[in-house]
Amino acid sequence: MVYSSLLFIYGFLPVSLLLYYITPKKLREMALLFLSGAFCCLISLYFFIFVVVFAAVNYIFMHLISLSRRNEKVAAVPLAAGIIIDLIAVFAFRTEYFTWLHRMIRAPGSFYPVGISFFALGAIGTLIDVYKGRIKADRNMVRFALYIMFFPRLIMGPLLRYRVFTNILNNRRETLSGMGVGMTVFVKGLAKKVIAADNLYMLYTAAFSTSVKEISALTAWLGAAAYILCLYFVLSGFADMGTGIAYLYGLKFPQSFNYPLLSIRLRYFAARWQSQVTQWLRRYITKPIYSVCRKRWMREAVFVLGWGLFGFWYTVDLNGIIWGVIIGTAVIIESRFLRKKILNPTGIIYTFLTVIIAGVFLSSDSAGYSVSYLFAMVGGNGAIADTQGFYLFKSYIVLLLVTMYASTDLFRNLMTRSERNRIRTAIMAVSPVLILAVLIVCTALMSYSGSSDMLLMKL
Amino acid sequence: MNRIISKITALLTIVFIAIFSVCTFFGKKKEYSVDENRPLAAAPTVKAGELYDGRTAEKLDRCMTDHFAGRSSWLVGSTLIQKELSESIVNGVYVSEERLINAEQSSDAEPVASADIFENFAENYDGMVYFAAIPTSAGVYGDVLPSHITGPSESQQISELYEALYGDIRKIDAYNILKMLKDNYIYYRSDTKWTSYGAYCVYKTVIQKLGIIPTAYDKFSIEHVTDNFRGDLYNRTMSKAPRADIMDVFEYREGAEVTSCIVVRRDGINAEGKIFDKSRLETGDMYSMYLGEPVPVMRITTSANTDKKLLVIKDSFADCFVPFLLQHYSEITVLDPSVMSGGMSAYVDPNEYEQTLFLFGIDSLGDRKMLSKIIE
Repeated sequence: MVYSSLLFIYGFLPVSLLLYYITPKKLREMALLFLSGAFCCLISLYFFIFVVVFAAVNYIFMHLISLSRRNEKVAAVPLAAGIIIDLIAVFAFRTEYFTWLHRMIRAPGSFYPVGISFFALGAIGTLIDVYKGRIKADRNMVRFALYIMFFPRLIMGPLLRYRVFTNILNNRRETLSGMGVGMTVFVKGLAKKVIAADNLYMLYTAAFSTSVKEISALTAWLGAAAYILCLYFVLSGFADMGTGIAYLYGLKFPQSFNYPLLSIRLRYFAARWQSQVTQWLRRYITKPIYSVCRKRWMREAVFVLGWGLFGFWYTVDLNGIIWGVIIGTAVIIESRFLRKKILNPTGIIYTFLTVIIAGVFLSSDSAGYSVSYLFAMVGGNGAIADTQGFYLFKSYIVLLLVTMYASTDLFRNLMTRSERNRIRTAIMAVSPVLILAVLIVCTALMSYSGSSDMLLMKL
Repeated sequence: MNRIISKITALLTIVFIAIFSVCTFFGKKKEYSVDENRPLAAAPTVKAGELYDGRTAEKLDRCMTDHFAGRSSWLVGSTLIQKELSESIVNGVYVSEERLINAEQSSDAEPVASADIFENFAENYDGMVYFAAIPTSAGVYGDVLPSHITGPSESQQISELYEALYGDIRKIDAYNILKMLKDNYIYYRSDTKWTSYGAYCVYKTVIQKLGIIPTAYDKFSIEHVTDNFRGDLYNRTMSKAPRADIMDVFEYREGAEVTSCIVVRRDGINAEGKIFDKSRLETGDMYSMYLGEPVPVMRITTSANTDKKLLVIKDSFADCFVPFLLQHYSEITVLDPSVMSGGMSAYVDPNEYEQTLFLFGIDSLGDRKMLSKIIE
C-alpha cells in the first residue's frame, strides 16, 4: 500500500484518524505505533516482521554501544556490527548478490522492504550519534520503534535524525488548523505524484523505449527533461504526502525539497535537492573527513565524493556515482570559476541543463547507454526532430511547462512576498475549494487502477 | 485568517474523505460491473499464507478499488482529465472523437511462437485446415498512433505467423481485405473487434477458399439491433468521445434454416443455444448477442442441402462470422478454447469433419496456454 492509493486515502487514513483521536492523549504515541504496525501489515505480514526485527536489532545495538561507551574502542565493536547489519539489510534487497540471504530469512519471492534506504540511514545515524555521545540511548522502546516504522515516513517520507524526531514527538499538538495544513501538504504531494509524475513518466518511457540508436535529439531532450522532473515530483511528492499525514496527527515534520530544480545557481540546487539526505551524508560522512583535510582541493574532492555517495544511494551502481560526481564537480567548477555576478536567467539555464544532462546517468543502468543517449541529445543520430518528437512535443509541452513552473518557488513567492496583495487574498479564500478539487481530480485519476504506485526508483 | 482557512480546508477535505469512505464500506456491493463488463473483486478471506506475503493486502486493494463509491463516474472523470493532461491515452487506450484504439502492448508472446500448435494439429488431421488471423482495430487504424506506441505492427505479426505455417494449412489474408476497406464501417468505434460487415467482407474470401460460392450482399436483410453498443475499449476507458456503435444482424431469409443448436456449457451441461441472442443486448456484454454467452462447444445443424460438415476453432472474433457460414453446411461445430476447461479432444473428434477453420483475432494468438488446449 502506498499513500497515493484509494485504499490508503479512503480506507486506512480515515479509520486511523478516528482511532487516533478517540485514544486518550497519553496513549497516542502507542496508538501511532499500533497504526504503523497495521500499515506495515497492509503491505505484508512479512514486511511487518522484517521492520520489527530491524528496529529490535538496532535498539539492542544502540544500548550495547551506550553501555560500553566508557571505553571508546570497545564501543566501536557494536557500532561497527550495527552499521554492517544495517548496510547488509539495504544491500541485500537493493542488489542481486544476496539471494542466498533471501532464502535464509525466507523472504517471499517479490518481497522488497519499501523505504529501507531511508530508515536504514536513520538507524545508522542514530547509532553513530549514540556512539559520539550526541544523544543518549533512549530506553523508550515505543519511540524507537516508532522512529523506524512511523508510517507517514516509511515510504520515502522525510528522513529525520532521532533527536529531531523525538523533538517533534514532544511538541505534538493536534489542532484542526494543523490538520488543514496537513491536508494541504498531503494533497499537494498527491498531486505531484498522480498528476505530474505519472504523466511525466509516460513521456519518459515513450522517449526511452525508442532505440537509442534511432532517437532524435528532440525526443531525447524531452525524455531527459521528463525524467528529471518526474524524479523530482516522485521524491518530493512522497515526502510531501508523508509530511502532510504527520501533520494530521499533530506532528510537524520539516520539508525535504525546497524547489531545487530551477535554482539560479547550481550550489542552490545542491543545497535544496533532498536536503535531508544530503545533510545526513554531510553530518556522518563528509564532515568528519573535512576536519582532517587542510587543503582546499582536498575538501573539494571530499565534496565530490559525498555527492558520488549520494548518487550511489539512489541507484546502487556506477551510473548513480557518475551522476553524483557530475553534480559535485559542476558545483565546484561553479564556485571556482564563476565568481562574477551573472544574470539569474543564465544561472537558471545552466543549472537546469547540468541537472538534465547528469540525470541521463541516473535514468539508466549502464554508462554506455547513457553516453549514447547524450550523443543522441546533441543530434548524433542525424535527426534533430522526427514525427515522434513532434508528436510528443505537442502532447506534453503544456504539462512540461506547467510542471516546470510548479517546480519553482515563483508561486510561493507570489503568496508570501506580497502581503497586501489582492491576488493573494483571493487565492487564500478559494484555497479550501481548490484543494478539495485537486483531491477529487487525483482520486479520479487513481480510480482505474486504485493506486499510483510507480516509484521510479526503489529506495 | 490563515487559521480559519486551514480549518475550513481540514473540515472540507476530511468530510469529503469520510463520506466516500463510509459509502464505500457500507454501500451496496455489486458483483458485476455493467459499464466495465467484468466481475468485480470480492472481499478477501484472510488466510495466513496470503497475509504473510502480501496477497491479502493486494486483494483488499483490488476490492476497495472495484467497489469504490461511484466508481463508474470516477472513471468517466478520469478519462476526461487524463486526455487533457498528456497524450490522449487512457489506460492503454488511445481516445479520439473518431474511435478508441488499443495502444497497449500485449504481454503475451509473439503470435509466431504459437505456429507449432497449428502445425501439430494439421499433422494429425485428415481433412483440410484453413487459417484466418484477423487484425484488431489497432492493426487497421493504428497508423494514426506514433510508432513507439504501436510496437510491431499487426500486419507484420500476421505475415510472420503465416510464414511459419508452412505445412498443409491454407492461409487467408484477412488483413489486406480489411485494410482496403478501412473507410467502411468494418470495425466498431469502441471495440477491438470487427463489425458484421467487416466479417462479411472476409467471409466472401474465406468461403471461396473453402470451395463454395458466397451469398451476395443484397440477399441479406440487415437489421440494426442496437445503435447503443459500447465495446471492450469503452469498458476500459468509459469514454463516450466517439459515437456509440451499431450492431447488425445479417439474415438470409430464403436460405437454409437452423434446425438445432446445442451448446455444451462451461459446467459441462448441454443446453440450447441461439445464433442471435437478443436478450444479451440488455446486459453489459452486448457483443455476446452473437452466439450468446461464450461456451466451449456449439453444435449447429441446418437444413442446408448438403452433407458437408465444418469445424470452426475460434475466439470471440468469429462470433459474428459464424452466422454467414450456416448457409453452406449441414453441420457446423464451433469450439472456443478460451473457455474450455480441459483439452479439445474431450469435446470433439476433429477427424469427423472434412474441413477445419481456425479463426482468431491476432491479439489472442500469442496466448499459448489457451491455444495449446487445441492439441491436448
